[in-house]
Amino acid sequence: MGEEYIVEMRHITKRFPGIVANDDVTIQIRKGEIYALLGENGAGKSTLMSMLFGMYEPDEGEILIRGEKVKIESPNHATRLNIGMVHQHFKLVSNYTVAENIVMGMEPVKKVLGCIPVVDIKKANSDIRALSEKYGLAVNPTDVIENINVSTQQRVEILKMLYREAEILIFDEPTAVLTPQEIDFLLEIIKGLREKGKTIILITHKLEEIKRIADRCAILNRGKLIDVLDVAETSTRVMANLMVGREVSFETEKKPADFGKVVLDVSNLNVFNKQEFQVVKNVSFQVHEGEILAIAGVAGNGQVEIADAIAGLMPVRSGKIVLNGEDITGASIRERTLKGISYIPEDRQNYGVVMDFTLSENLALKNYFKEPFCRKGMLDNRAFEENSRRLIEKYDIRSGQGSGTVVRSMSGGNQQKAIVGREIELASPLMIFVQPTRGLDIGAIENIHRQMIAERDRGRAILLISLELDEIMNCADTIAVIYNGELQKIASAGSLTTNQVGEFMMGVRQKETEKSTAGKSEAGKEAAGKSATGKGTAGKSEAGKEAAGRSVTGKGTAGKSETGKEAAGKKVTGKGAEEKGGGEE
Amino acid sequence: MNGILIDGLSFALPLFIMAIGGIYCEKSGVTMLAVEGLQGFGAFVGAFAAVLAAGGFSGSSQVPFYIAILCAAVGGGLFALLHALLCLRFQANQVISGVVVNIMAMALTAYLTKLLNRLLFGATSDKFVLTVSYRFTVPGLSRIPLLGAVFTNVYPFEVIIVAVAFVAWFVMYKTRFGMHLRACGDNPHAVDAAGRQVNRIRLAAIVICGALSGLGGICFAYSISANFSASIYVGYGYLAIAALIFGNWRILPTLGACLLFGFARSGGYKLVQVLQMPSSYQDLVMILPYVLTLLLLVFFSKQNGSPRALGEIYDKGAR
Repeated sequence: MGEEYIVEMRHITKRFPGIVANDDVTIQIRKGEIYALLGENGAGKSTLMSMLFGMYEPDEGEILIRGEKVKIESPNHATRLNIGMVHQHFKLVSNYTVAENIVMGMEPVKKVLGCIPVVDIKKANSDIRALSEKYGLAVNPTDVIENINVSTQQRVEILKMLYREAEILIFDEPTAVLTPQEIDFLLEIIKGLREKGKTIILITHKLEEIKRIADRCAILNRGKLIDVLDVAETSTRVMANLMVGREVSFETEKKPADFGKVVLDVSNLNVFNKQEFQVVKNVSFQVHEGEILAIAGVAGNGQVEIADAIAGLMPVRSGKIVLNGEDITGASIRERTLKGISYIPEDRQNYGVVMDFTLSENLALKNYFKEPFCRKGMLDNRAFEENSRRLIEKYDIRSGQGSGTVVRSMSGGNQQKAIVGREIELASPLMIFVQPTRGLDIGAIENIHRQMIAERDRGRAILLISLELDEIMNCADTIAVIYNGELQKIASAGSLTTNQVGEFMMGVRQKETEKSTAGKSEAGKEAAGKSATGKGTAGKSEAGKEAAGRSVTGKGTAGKSETGKEAAGKKVTGKGAEEKGGGEE
Repeated sequence: MNGILIDGLSFALPLFIMAIGGIYCEKSGVTMLAVEGLQGFGAFVGAFAAVLAAGGFSGSSQVPFYIAILCAAVGGGLFALLHALLCLRFQANQVISGVVVNIMAMALTAYLTKLLNRLLFGATSDKFVLTVSYRFTVPGLSRIPLLGAVFTNVYPFEVIIVAVAFVAWFVMYKTRFGMHLRACGDNPHAVDAAGRQVNRIRLAAIVICGALSGLGGICFAYSISANFSASIYVGYGYLAIAALIFGNWRILPTLGACLLFGFARSGGYKLVQVLQMPSSYQDLVMILPYVLTLLLLVFFSKQNGSPRALGEIYDKGAR
């Protein structure tokens, strides 16, 4: 029986100071299958695979590759054993071309003048082109990494493994940084790899992906192997319950909305980004007390800029922002905070917390200058402590050393809990949530949704900006759909189906006033290129290229949704990396 | 006019080779502020070797000069190991390490110069006296109007520098080593994942930087001052760093910056002569390259091609 498995990890135990990351885990993987590892953040999936990839050594247990017992000492050793891994953080040299990145370390070499070895970049390019075509990866070897989107960068990482003749491919949360359309493409690629005989291990906490492509699925919870399931015969609900260790509800319960007076009134808002490109076009909407207004849209269509403009992070070119009857268009950020805006930013590690400050300091970031934290110009440590102890308890913020923990060392989920807790405590009439659940697991997501709805029921006005359509359909009372910087539709949540929202997001269903579709989608691409890479020409030419490619292949709806994909991919580029810093563990 | 070109070139090229050293180091991701100290120490070792060797050759022999060049490169490279030790082994702050190397080079060479002079030559002197290197003129080519200046009154070291610079460019952009080196400065994790040892590559880069800086230093000693003393530390190392920053960490634009500095300096001297100003104004002219640095900083500070991982300590274990 032993030879049947290409990878066997037997009775693996791995301890880190304070926790047991893997506790007597045994998994057996067959050649040519897609094997999923499912678990919440911190369940030990990544640790387990890090051991297979030679990054750590197990404290106990053994690893068998193709029936042979091995001790994998380093990632390079793993590579020699034909094991490859796509990490969450891509390991790419940003100013090198795709081909240079892939061949690095095993470059084809040619001799000039018969004796001086130089890198044969022509051969590298043609090798990579052939490899990319063989697996349908659609990667151009001469593109420079910093000009291509995250999704393409990920495919470069896949090519890197294939170039090194990997047979066992490990994907660590590969879809975390991708848009829905990019996910589709990736999953197709993974299926294609299986057809070519590769064995795939997929680390994820997204049930839907497992259901779509995996053959078998191992579920981990708090370091222990709970079960190994045949995916075809198991429902996602069962998997979810096993993963979290309790019953999970997919839909958040909420009472019917009870709108009060207008809290936020945005009229004719126009915003330009640093590259002088108009990212928000003439946007008007109102948010009432007790209302969750969600802005839906593909990343990079101006929704984050709307939130930033309201919070004061981005200058407004024209238009008016009125909060509780008071014009705050030109107010400073602190004035806005004091007048009643809570803001949960998209990029939590750069805008939400000060990573090297302690938890107690971070929990007082918005009001440290007021009583009781600051008396007569002196900071009062005790007040910080007290505040932090209360919030930690109330919002279940977990950390190594309580109030004194440096935020950098906390997991992404707990950082987010800290931010959400801090902002809710401000008791602002208006709360802006930008991508509040990105990178979090089901349990944490459920938690944040519940808090958001509780705040709504308390009569706060909530502006939710999210790329997750499910989240929007789940939480929103009113849905506004943005495309290319313009609001396409504002309607109560009940009156729109998920599909309709999706069509508005892609710009397929046009706003009544719009006529020329072609011109518009073209502009959208431009917008994506610019706002995303922040590199003016580079981004732009890239977008242009994509456009050219698409117009040949795509038609009708398909073509356009592709466009959206490209747009979205770009937006994520810079951010993806930091985002995941604290994602796992 | 020819004079400006000739003098400018003989100043710009040593500056250029030091800047290339800096580019090597910084492209590998290690901040390099120690060029000043490295060139000084290299010049010290080279000058000492030349003085030692001078006894064995006739007065007009050029052999001590070539020995000096070689030893300066070796000396600079060895002294750079200190920076490597601090930055790579002990993961010290690279800026501070660079400053330490500079200060230490200054103090150490001043002390050693006096000590060696006393011990070996029985003289109380704080300098090693060298000659000014001979110069040659390429017949024919030097007659070309304007461009001929490039082939007139050439120091031999200028030829060496041009050759070394070409090799440095070739290695940086055409070989596997160069490819890995540049990658280290952008994303060392990628290099590690490709199975190369980041710190080993960075060590090589630092040593190369030391060697090239030392080469630049001894060239200054053989052209401007005709001796080795503490006066070698007048900030040319920093000027080289400024040049590589204006050159956006690329070799050819850096050459442009160096030439600009060189011509500014020689042009300034010429101006003093032409206007028949008192010689004290010569000292004022010395500040020209630095004033130019300030001006360029105003215009170029926005363009930023610095290596992404510059100054980042690479810790393999960190995720």
